[in-house]
Formats: sequence, C-alpha cells, structure tokens
Amino acid sequence: MDNTTVHESHSDIEDLFDEEEGERPCYLSDEEHAESVTGAPAVSSSEMEADNVAKLSNLDISDNTQEESQVHEGGSSHEISETTPGHQGEEGGRSNDPKGLELGDGDGSAIATSSTTDVGPESTDSGVLVTDVVDGDTLSEDGIQESPGSPSSSREGTSGYLAGSGSSAASVCSASGVDESADRILNQESTRPTRRSWVPGKRHPDEDDTSLAWRKHKKHFFILSNAGKPIYSRYGDEHKLAGFSATLQAIMSFVENSGDTIRFVKAGDHQIVFLVKGPLYLVAISATEEPDEVIRCQLELLHAQLILILTKGVEKCFVKNSKFDMRPLLGGTDMVFSHLIHGFSWNPATFLRAYTCLPLPYAIRQAAGAALQDMPNTGPLFSLLMCGSKVISLMSPRKSSISPNDILLLSNYVASSDSFRTTESFFPVCLPGYNPTAFLYAYVQYLDSDTCLFLLTADPDGFFQLKECRGRIGTILRQTNVLAEVANAVRRGGLRVEHLLETKASHPVLDPKTSSIFGSDGDHELHGSAGVPREGTIGIGGPAGLWHFIYRSSFLDQYVASEFSSPLHTTSAQKRLYRAYQKLYTSMHGAGAAGPHKMQYRRDERHVLLSWRTSDFELYAAFDPLADKSSAVAVCNRVCQWLRDLESEIFLLGATPFSWCN
Amino acid sequence: MSARKRTLLKVIILGDSGVGKTSLMNQYVNKKFSNQYKATIGADFLTKEVQVEDRLVTMQIWDTAGQERFQSLGVAFYRGADCCVLVYDVNVMKSFDNLDNWREEFLIQASPSDPENFPFVVLGNKVDVDGGNSRVVSEKKAKAWCAAKGGIPYFETSAKEDFNVDAAFQCIAKNALKNETEEEIYLPDTIDVNASRVPKASGCEC
Repeated sequence: MDNTTVHESHSDIEDLFDEEEGERPCYLSDEEHAESVTGAPAVSSSEMEADNVAKLSNLDISDNTQEESQVHEGGSSHEISETTPGHQGEEGGRSNDPKGLELGDGDGSAIATSSTTDVGPESTDSGVLVTDVVDGDTLSEDGIQESPGSPSSSREGTSGYLAGSGSSAASVCSASGVDESADRILNQESTRPTRRSWVPGKRHPDEDDTSLAWRKHKKHFFILSNAGKPIYSRYGDEHKLAGFSATLQAIMSFVENSGDTIRFVKAGDHQIVFLVKGPLYLVAISATEEPDEVIRCQLELLHAQLILILTKGVEKCFVKNSKFDMRPLLGGTDMVFSHLIHGFSWNPATFLRAYTCLPLPYAIRQAAGAALQDMPNTGPLFSLLMCGSKVISLMSPRKSSISPNDILLLSNYVASSDSFRTTESFFPVCLPGYNPTAFLYAYVQYLDSDTCLFLLTADPDGFFQLKECRGRIGTILRQTNVLAEVANAVRRGGLRVEHLLETKASHPVLDPKTSSIFGSDGDHELHGSAGVPREGTIGIGGPAGLWHFIYRSSFLDQYVASEFSSPLHTTSAQKRLYRAYQKLYTSMHGAGAAGPHKMQYRRDERHVLLSWRTSDFELYAAFDPLADKSSAVAVCNRVCQWLRDLESEIFLLGATPFSWCN
Repeated sequence: MSARKRTLLKVIILGDSGVGKTSLMNQYVNKKFSNQYKATIGADFLTKEVQVEDRLVTMQIWDTAGQERFQSLGVAFYRGADCCVLVYDVNVMKSFDNLDNWREEFLIQASPSDPENFPFVVLGNKVDVDGGNSRVVSEKKAKAWCAAKGGIPYFETSAKEDFNVDAAFQCIAKNALKNETEEEIYLPDTIDVNASRVPKASGCEC
C-alpha cells in the first residue's frame, strides 16, 4: 500500500483511460443541452454577425435544467490514488523530517480513502451545478468558503481529502487564515470588488508530502525537469518534495517511453493534469473540479511565465546536461508563480485570453495614448500603462503586437514583487507570445501607488533612453490630468449591473452621445454618491435578476466584467461564479461533437448562467436562480447595447492592429 | 531565495534482486532494518538531506527493482542521474558477476555526457551473514574489478548491522558533487528588432 510503484500505476492509468472512453467529460451534458439551442432554426450565425443587436429572444431556448454528469469511478480511483500521495518509506516517516507525521498504513493512503467515500452524493444531485465547497477547516486559497448559515449542499463525506478532517484544523497554516479575515474586512467596509488579498512569499514552506496539511491543499502545482528534479512547488519545500517529484517523473516518463503522453488521471475527487513542455514537466493536482482543459491552460500559463523569466533558451541547458538543476536560475521567483496561481481563481484574463481596461473618459485615454506614442523612433518597442491588472493604454510605435497573455504575465511578474513599487527597474524579460526565444528589456516604474509604466526595448543598454522617455511620459500624464483621472476611475470602480436598471429608468431612450458611465455633465462622483448602493444597502442586482456579466470583444481581445454586486458579495460566491464561468467558457469553446457553441442557458440552484457567442463578442452573464428566461435574454441584449454605447470608455480602441492569434 | 546554494543529487541504486538495495536505503534514510523481504516494484523514491563539507545537499534516491522485467523502465529512470550505486551480495557470486551488466546498461540508457568519468560507487552488501563464512566474493576480487573500471570507490556494507552505510552514502554524495559540471553563465539571446521581422509565435498560448 505504501510503496509508490510505477508498475501498478501503469496498469491503473490504463484502467482509468479505458473508463474515460466510456464516460463523457463533465461538461458534455452542456453540449447536449446546447444542441437544442444551436439547432434552432432561428440561430443563424450570419444573422448575428450582420447585426450585433440580434435579439436573443428570437431564439428558442429550451429551459432544461442543467445536469452535471460527474465522472467519478470509485474502484479505479482508489487504485490510481496509490500513486498520488507520493510515497512513504516502508516503515513510515523519514529521518529528514524530524517533525514528520508518522503515518500508519491508513493515513498513508489518505487520498485514496476519501476517494472511495465521495462517489455518491454529488453525482446524484441532478440539477445542481456542483461547485467547490469545503469544510470550514480546509482554508486553502482555492477552497470556497461556505459562509455559516448559508444553504449548503450535502457536505458529509465530500469535504476534505480525509474523512474526519475536522481534527486537523490546527495544522492548517495561518496564511489562509489571514486571507480570510482580510476578506471579511473588505466585505464589511466597501462595495468594491473583494479580491483575496495575496500574501507574498512561499506557502507553507515547512510542509512536504508526508504532512497532512500538505495533502489537504486543494490545488497543487509542480514544475520539474524530465529527470525528476524539482523546480517549483506551490506548497512545501521543493527539496523535501524531491521524492514526490521523482514519482511524478516516473509516471510521466514511463508513459512517454511507450511513445505516448499522459494527459490526466482522475482519482476520486482529485484530478492530476500533466503537461510536457520539452524537458520540463508541469503537473497540477486539484480537487477543485475545474475541467482538465482549464487546468491545462493554467499549466500552459505557468510555463509561459517561466519562459518570460528565462526564455525558451533554458531548454538548451537540458540538452547539454540532463542533470541540469534549474532551481538556482529561478532563485527568488517563487512568488511570481504563486501570484499567477492566485490569479487563476479571480482574474478572468487567465482564461479569456483577453485583457481588460480601466474605464476612463475617452479623452483621457486618448491623452494617455498620445503620451505613450510620443517617442523617438529608436525608442521602446512597447509602451504600456497599467493600473493594477487593468490597462490604461498600450502603444507600439513600431507596430509590433503584444498578446493579451504577455500583458497578463508581464503585469503578474511586476505585481508579484513589492520591489518594483519603490524604485525604477530595468530587467531582461521574454514575452513568450512575441518571441519565446529571446530577451527584451523592460523599464518599469510606478508613477503613483496604482499606475505603472512599462517600456520595453530590445536594447540592453536602453536604460537611460527609457528613463528619459519615462520622464517625458510622466510629465505629459500629469499635465493632461491623466493620473488624477485614473485615481478617480479607481475610486469609482467599474461597471455595475444596477446602472443598467438606472439607465433604463432615467433615460428611456438611450442617446449614445450622452450615455456615459461618467455622466454627461462631467460629474464623476455620480456613481459614488447617488448611483451605487452604498455600504449597508442591500444590492438588488440589475434588472431581471442580473447579477454579473463578462463581455469579451473578439476583435479587440479585451473583456469587461461588471463589479460584483450583492448577493455576490462574499469571496466564496464570487469564486464559485468565477469557476462556473470557466466551465462555461470551456464548453463554449470545446471541440465536442456539437462543435463550439453559440449559446447556452443553464440553471442551477445558485444561478442562471447565460452565454452567447458571436463572431464579434462573447457574453457571459449570471442571474438570480429564479430569473425569468425571456427577461434574462432581453437583459442580455440590453447589456450588449449598453456596452456598445460605452465602448469608447471601457475599451482601448484604435490602438495598433493586433494580430497575434490568427 | 534562501535555497540558492542547495544542491539536489539524483542517485540511482542498481543491482540484482535481493542484494539489499531497499534495505540499504532504508537503513540510511530511516535508520530501520527489516528481515522481511519485500520486492520493490518498479522503483521507490526517498530523499535525504546531508551536509558535504560546506554544502547542503538533498539526495533524491531512486531505489529500483532488481527483477529483469522492470528493466524496460530504464531511460526514464536513469535520465539526469548524478551518481549510480551498484550493489551486490558478497554471498552470491552471480550478483557480483552481473555488476558488469548493470554498469553497461546504465551507461547505455543514461548516456551521460562523459561516461568514462561518470561517478559509480560499488557496495558489497550482507557482509554480516553467517559471520562472513558464507561469503563467496572476496574483498580483493571486488576491489580488482573496481580498479579495472577506472577506480570505482568500493565499500563493504551491512544494512542489517548498519555497517559502513553512512560512510558509503557520504562518499556517493561527495563523488556526485565532484562530478558536477561547472555551470555556465546563463545568457540567452536578445531580440534583434532591426534584423528581421520577428517571427509570429506559432499559435497562441494554450
């Protein structure tokens, strides 16, 4: 039981794959449902393309209740999971971990144990979109907290990795506790979006695969070399996890030896997703029920982040020397990866392949663009002005293109370290979407507490030139009042679903010329004082029970998401919705039998989700679970109209022609 | 950050089945010994942190199965090894004779960049059995073999009595470190924007 044995794992893996063929992936039921939508005669994609205002209500959307088919197999999961808990010495603990928990046989197979107990309840709950809910005691970043007293679905037996996990609450480290209390404070004091505060630094560095707490984390990420040498682990110390790392390599290399590639293993409520990138192996072990496609995308991003730090040239080191130990090269970058992983659970940019802009009056964004554009010919390749994770403006004087993922990874790199906040920095960086094989050089400086300027050049000696550029840009931005407006915009927050209602009520006939989130009279406090339900006010959401939406423009590769409104005021509710969006996005883009979908309407006990995809845009909207279908559809049309009216304020228009994806 | 100067060594233990590979590893890592024989299936992995001179080293020990049917695992397991430990049973002549095969097989599969100087260590195990009376491979014979293969360090060990085990592994770590190639300074290319248009990335990320 204790031994990690590759022989066994092999046969188990095969078993699982066999079953996979018989089973349908989790989201497949969506497709069945969607077929009825896409099959409707009224859905003509050309019609929609011709006219964005195509009315959703024309479509015959059957109101099937969503059923989730869960693919959990008890027997084989039990077997396969023997390989996942890593490995125990025959006699239990290890001498290199003095505090290591001595695990008896039963505990040694903790993951396996739970995997056999949880087969039932969730899959039988038809009509329930199963999302992650964990016991109060597993406070991992990826867990979704049920607020006490809220209606919670059946918990017993599906909670943690361990039956009877309540006893180990004390072993959960304080970091997550900090996260949680920070959330609470945020929730109480403002209606601004609550984002889990990210605490820099290594998570639970003292843990290894023998620690119960380590095994209980909901989502692990590993990077290792194809020789089995650990490079990065989200939790725990990489060196202490060397044995675990070796186990992962043995499994992956073994499958590779037979000329195949292992993609994922399902073991109870755990999913192990593998990604081979040349000499690098990336692995995620998650109990979050995200589709494996979503997790694989996250592994791709993690790899791209590594390339951003080192370029693809690092692969040559492995060709020259298979013993190559990459960890020293990545010294001090733990937090870059951890910060990115944190983003996987709140930042839509991590799965939409699009960036988002800070909403700004058109003239102000124009002024920012002009400041960035005003560069000597030999100046930067890219100039990027960002506020947090949102773009203010982006210019490429030489008409080169920068991909949304590059923006995400670059801003993640800078946001993950406080070092950038206090000083100007010049450092080599690789934009994997632009050219993964070579370095550019980035000049980065924060112009105020939120606003950060990125200037990228190919010239390793470009520091002084870019410093000069920064000086000029900074001056212009101040003179043109851009920085002050940015601060206002941050204070104001983004789009609110309540305003859709408001707009409708106060301006029955929408005049695009006057419609602005900033008000036509230039009263920038409009929403702060009057429009936005203030603290203490119970949010009512938007019309027809609209709670939230994300709109992605296909041409611009930009998205806009509304602020979270009540009742989505808890982090857990937001994260649950976020995961539901991820799932929806995946099924909208999946290459299933029905092909990519045009539209989905799903109802479960938590929300109604509506997604609509045309050649111009994608809309994902969440409604109250009791929302009426036809009014929800009507509201989606209004949202699209509203966003088109606000286009010049919420999107960066007319920048360089972006052409990275086609 | 703090882990900058820690070194990780991948150590592979090879030898016929039943010579005591797992027992040696368990004695070394866990300070435990069991008389019961349980065949290793595939491979087993343990880590141990040791101090070698002024360096902190993590040994990632790959305890492989001795049975021939597992030898297909070869390439995957041996790739990127820093040191290879060959174990035989001093009471079983065949296990000594097979050292040649194990060494050859390792060099073929792992294909190290400098096979001549790849660090091996040979352990003659089970010297405690029957007070040494059932021994069939003499120390002299073993040392001669080691010398012929380019001076491989040789240790006589007993996993049961914990005899020489620490010393052997200390030598394993030391030799692996000695063989560590000087790492070149990592200097990737810089983009030359003026030379040509940058090739578009093939496809988009994920």
